[in-house]
Amino acid sequence: MVQEEGRGHLRASYADREQVIDVLKAAFVEDRLARDEFEARVGQVFASRTYAELAAATADVPARPNADRSAGTPARVRQQRTRREMSQAELAAVLGVSRQTVISIESGCYLPSLPLAFRIARFFDLKVDTMFDPDEPEAGA
Amino acid sequence: MMPFIPPRLRKPVGIALAGVVFAAAWLARGGPLWWISILAVILAAARAVFLYWAGGQDTDVGALAGSRADERQKLVSLRSWALACNLAAIAAFVGLTVAIAVKATWWWPFVVILAVIGLGYLLGLSNYGAAEEGTPDDVDTGHQTRSPVNS
Repeated sequence: MVQEEGRGHLRASYADREQVIDVLKAAFVEDRLARDEFEARVGQVFASRTYAELAAATADVPARPNADRSAGTPARVRQQRTRREMSQAELAAVLGVSRQTVISIESGCYLPSLPLAFRIARFFDLKVDTMFDPDEPEAGA
Repeated sequence: MMPFIPPRLRKPVGIALAGVVFAAAWLARGGPLWWISILAVILAAARAVFLYWAGGQDTDVGALAGSRADERQKLVSLRSWALACNLAAIAAFVGLTVAIAVKATWWWPFVVILAVIGLGYLLGLSNYGAAEEGTPDDVDTGHQTRSPVNS
């Protein structure tokens, strides 16, 4: 990932830290990291100065967790909602849609529009492409 | 449409108005069947009450009846209307064909229905942007759009 052979002692940039945080976010979404672990590691990333220190933050996380999309969009939305201990009705109220639409998204019957996808991703503090996979077929389509 | 009316009342009010207009037309027609106008008002009122009740339900149909549908519910409604319109067009075409085959005089209502559907579709294309495809950027840049080999 960030660390290459012999580069560990080199200073990391802001973009390098962002890249590692994206990996941690993806691992968090996929339930590889608990919330407190995630927050601690993000703090560790911001405190890191070198590539070696950055690599330590993701040492036990698969190199490309984004490639493992087996959970699918419906499961990711449901995971994020249940992690925040929200009901479908509460999430619907926050997003400005009906409870039935949240159910449809979580059951894979409906892929939300771009504005709604952004609202969902922003609410969960994630990137849209971490949350939604445009290649996934829509069950109800 | 009708922004001054609360969302839950919009469809019931529309149905009630349509019922009153139809009843008035039937009453103006006169004749021994004038009582059908009263029946029309009663049916329209019942339908309006049903829509108002349905508009309070926590369902997709309730959201549509209460004019508070979200994007998915509007899409479902749009698809349903498209299906209904297709079926109406097929039924009108079949009706027209049969009317012509039996040399009936009632062929023209089917033509009217088909014409309204066709014109409505053209209006939709015009209204929703099919005529606003924009200018290709190669016109502005002056780049060749065809290969010199083929021209």
